[in-house]
Amino acid sequence: MKKLQEVLRDWEAVIGLEVHTELTTLDTKMFCNCRLSHDDPPNTNVCPVCLGMPGALPVPNRKAIQSIVMAGLATNCQIMKHSMFYRKHYFYPDMAKNFQTTQGPVAFCMHGHLDLSVEGEGAAERPEWESTAGDGTPVERAADGSYTVPIRILRIHMEEDAAKMVHSGGTEGRITGASESFIDYNRCGTPLIELVTEPDLRTPEEARLFMEDLQQTFRTLGISDCSLESGSMRCDGNISLRRRGETRLGTKAEMKNINSFKSLHDALEYEICRQAEVLEEGGIIYQETRHWEPSHHRTVVMRVKETEDDYRLFPDPDLAPFDLTDDFINEARARIPELPHAKRDRYVRDFGLKPADARQLAGDPATAALFESAVALVKPGEKDAAKVQATVANVMVNLLPGHEGVSAEQVFSLARLLATDAITFAQAREVLEAVDGTDDDPERVVDERGMRQVSDTSALAPIVEEVLARCQDQVNQYHDGNKKVVGYLVGQCMKASKGKGNPKLFNQMLREALEA
Amino acid sequence: MASLDSLSAAQIAAGVAQGDFTATEVAQAALDAIDSREKDVQAFLQVSADLALEAAKRTDARRAAGEKLGPLAGVPVAFKDNMHLVGTRTTCASKMLANYDSVFTATCVQRLLDAGATPVGKTNMDEFAFGSTTESSAFHRTNNPWDTGRVPGGSSGGSAAAVAAGEATLALGSDTGGSIRQPASFCGVVGMKPTYGAVSRYGVVAFGSSLDQVGPFGRRVEDVALAMNALTAEGADPLDSTSQNCAVDFLEHLDDPVEGLTVGVVPQLMEAKGLSQEVRDALTAAVASLASQGARVVEVELPNIASAIAAYYVIAPCEAFSNLARFDGVRYGYQEPDCQTLAEQTSLSRAHGFGEEAKRRQMLGAYLLSSGVYEKYYYPAQQVRTLITQDYARAYQKCDVILLPSAPTTAWRFGDVSDPTQMYASDMFTISNNICGNGGISVPLGLATQSHMPVSAQLQGPAFSDRRLLRFARAIERGVDQGLGLGGGAPVAPDFAGRGGDL
Amino acid sequence: MALSQDDVAQIADYARIALTPSELEQMTTYMNEAVDLLEPITHYDLDGVEPTFHPIGDLSNVMGEDVVDDSVRALPIDVALHNAGSTHDRYFRVPSILGDSEEDF
Ligand SMILES: [Mg+2]
Ligand SMILES: [Zn+2]
Repeated sequence: MKKLQEVLRDWEAVIGLEVHTELTTLDTKMFCNCRLSHDDPPNTNVCPVCLGMPGALPVPNRKAIQSIVMAGLATNCQIMKHSMFYRKHYFYPDMAKNFQTTQGPVAFCMHGHLDLSVEGEGAAERPEWESTAGDGTPVERAADGSYTVPIRILRIHMEEDAAKMVHSGGTEGRITGASESFIDYNRCGTPLIELVTEPDLRTPEEARLFMEDLQQTFRTLGISDCSLESGSMRCDGNISLRRRGETRLGTKAEMKNINSFKSLHDALEYEICRQAEVLEEGGIIYQETRHWEPSHHRTVVMRVKETEDDYRLFPDPDLAPFDLTDDFINEARARIPELPHAKRDRYVRDFGLKPADARQLAGDPATAALFESAVALVKPGEKDAAKVQATVANVMVNLLPGHEGVSAEQVFSLARLLATDAITFAQAREVLEAVDGTDDDPERVVDERGMRQVSDTSALAPIVEEVLARCQDQVNQYHDGNKKVVGYLVGQCMKASKGKGNPKLFNQMLREALEA
Repeated sequence: MASLDSLSAAQIAAGVAQGDFTATEVAQAALDAIDSREKDVQAFLQVSADLALEAAKRTDARRAAGEKLGPLAGVPVAFKDNMHLVGTRTTCASKMLANYDSVFTATCVQRLLDAGATPVGKTNMDEFAFGSTTESSAFHRTNNPWDTGRVPGGSSGGSAAAVAAGEATLALGSDTGGSIRQPASFCGVVGMKPTYGAVSRYGVVAFGSSLDQVGPFGRRVEDVALAMNALTAEGADPLDSTSQNCAVDFLEHLDDPVEGLTVGVVPQLMEAKGLSQEVRDALTAAVASLASQGARVVEVELPNIASAIAAYYVIAPCEAFSNLARFDGVRYGYQEPDCQTLAEQTSLSRAHGFGEEAKRRQMLGAYLLSSGVYEKYYYPAQQVRTLITQDYARAYQKCDVILLPSAPTTAWRFGDVSDPTQMYASDMFTISNNICGNGGISVPLGLATQSHMPVSAQLQGPAFSDRRLLRFARAIERGVDQGLGLGGGAPVAPDFAGRGGDL
Repeated sequence: MALSQDDVAQIADYARIALTPSELEQMTTYMNEAVDLLEPITHYDLDGVEPTFHPIGDLSNVMGEDVVDDSVRALPIDVALHNAGSTHDRYFRVPSILGDSEEDF
């Protein structure tokens, strides 16, 4: 198979996503008061409503409706005041009523968009000369190739999740070959919002970034934990190819089982290349559902759609229609915190962060909150204030991931130690390990372990002298033009100072001595 | 010595409260009556003697403790078998649910029990309420107490017959297209379909969710009003999104005169094809009776009502298909044994669990909802529904209630009507009210001149004017009691009166 | 246009109602008669007429609170499984979903 870059030269990939997100932060299900928890033993959180018992009736969860309105507002959707729930029928026992309560042609949220900022390597996936967004607006490139492209959102609608099935007797719990299956209705009726994009995405990287943006947005709204791994956020990708210049859409295949950002990117990349190969060999693409197999790095056919499914949709007579009031919408609006995009821009503007770092910090609400608390500890008048601020970001981006129990005070203290060259980056890592999950002040750990770097030139000068005298070979190399050898000499100084000397200072002093 | 046959619900509750007799004695009398009458009427699918005696015992204990008793204290009540009551099976008269134990209690049932009622059992019905004769019950037929060779009507035929035979003082039924009013008419009892949303549907197995409404049967209008109080006093049910608060005291203006109020008559309906002469004559007498009590009589038009049957037989099967899709033999219900695949188990469970009419309606609904057909029938039917609703609204600008037949004929003999589509036409006078959600009530006018079977008038009114409907019903009842019209009132059917039931 | 037996067989397949050949024949007759009864609906000029999906006047925005209330409706496991034809531990059980077919879902 050809490489992605090569394929995208001749072919345009047209990608749309359908993203299902469980509203995991709610307390109860969509249409009943059963507890939302998937960890309990099977069929613990069930009642007549979510078991589809005869005679049971649904009552919509107000907070779920509020959550979807927040999601719509955060993604620039139009909030549709008048809408209804519909019944979508299919016989499969994971849906206790054999229909799913979902929305019809009018969803709570319609016609939104997210502006995607594509930077770095990923930006190169989109060919230089592919210069129009899905909505027809021009896509402008910065000098480094980065670009911003609007991705339109068709709709976000409210629905309910299905039960979990356990397949027994087949291989690896797969349905194929299973001799029987077991059903656990704990998940059945979980509030679920489905977002459908327009087919505006053009590269696997754009799709990946869109999902990441969406995850960051929904997490910031506090409406879901958005875990791809556990399935509280699930993504299906629709993909078709067309020759460059062609306007008609090709036949699309639907991609399922995407449970990580990497899978999303890789599955789309594979599928684009696969479809190109089929088409270039004169074959045809079938409208089918394909399953991503990360272990084999390929997609395989799950189901060929011969005819469009007829779900017999009609307005649910058990649920009153909605005429959302301005008050209801404004209340939802008032609950929306600063969103990742705005936060990202502010971090770049106010703290001089690199866009990629700002994106990482702004994306996760807990991380952003920690960052802002740590930065707030920097006193404006303080010596090296700007440097400490930048170092806080540096610590957060490069050291903190993997350390859950670190406080804002500890981050700030560590950043100040680094910014004032009291410790090295490697030492900072060690200090972080030590204070993670404790109340210890990094300053004290550094002192206790005698880690504080010596930045006093008079104390370091004898060491420099000694090393230069000892390493005559390297000194000669330096004079022969191999300036890189300084690195080795710095290492020798560090060793001689038992790690306490300031490496930057050593570097500076060595160069001065060698050039003298 | 008193007999349950001659006591109203209000009298029973008062008697229990005053200590004239105990709730247990009443329950025992009701169970005796059921015991001696049931083999001829077969109104029940299940007699809940234990629950009845327990409830009565609780009522008596409350009285002994000096607590205030509910307005239905000790009153024997029967429930249509599509209403859940923990401690009973809820079968919907279907093989599908033959062994289904209720896992919760319906709001309407609970509210009657909370008012002190004694639950004597679950009554027969057309399977899943699909029918007009109770013949589609998977278990047995129910006989009309006024002539056991005739149908009791349906689908709430068991509830109507139980009250008519004096086996229960009150009963609940459900009415999707006339299933309370038509059997009430056939069995000569009062039957009310309140405004859609007045009574909670939670715990009542759904047929057509936008049409279904629960309502009471009684032998006196006052008893029906008393039951309405119990059903609605607590306001909207938080478990039913379509229920609304309509709590008023239905007894309060019950006996007010109808003088100065206006009754509408629809000439087009009084001349309808299929309406028998004896029913027409009875209706004429009822109109005259109301007029003699000072009500004004005007003619009103319902131009689109001729399409009500068509609209109904689009909407109802679609909702039925959807509501009955859940019966797949997995979580509950009949499960075909020894199936190798899920699809096989589902389609055989449904094929063998459902009776003919249940399958017909679901098939029709599945067809009408399919793409292309939805646009041709379902959507237009809902638009026609708007036209019919507007017709009624216009008519109610000219009158307070509309008087019309409950059914085109009196109860027919078993086997006289068998073709399903012909049967559908017998709902012609009741269906339109479910289409627009308004309230309606069937009031006995005595026995018809030719068939000598009970004949009734139906009163329909605007949404949430159910109290005024009862006031008119009471006026008709008063007229009948005083010998106006046909005379005769609504007693226990003569063949059954006096067989057990003594206090 | 009348419904053929094939049409009706497809609907039965979708609605998961197994029909024997003679039942299919009867059902086809019934379906066509029933659909004939609905004809009046197709004769209206309904331009601009709003449909009435909910016969409840202006009732709208009915919602409940996001509060766990186990006492109202939650079912203990034995009650939840009580009416099921076949169970396994705490689960409802169904036979093989795909049978011998290769097709995956
Ligand atoms: Mg969906
Ligand atoms: Zn539940």
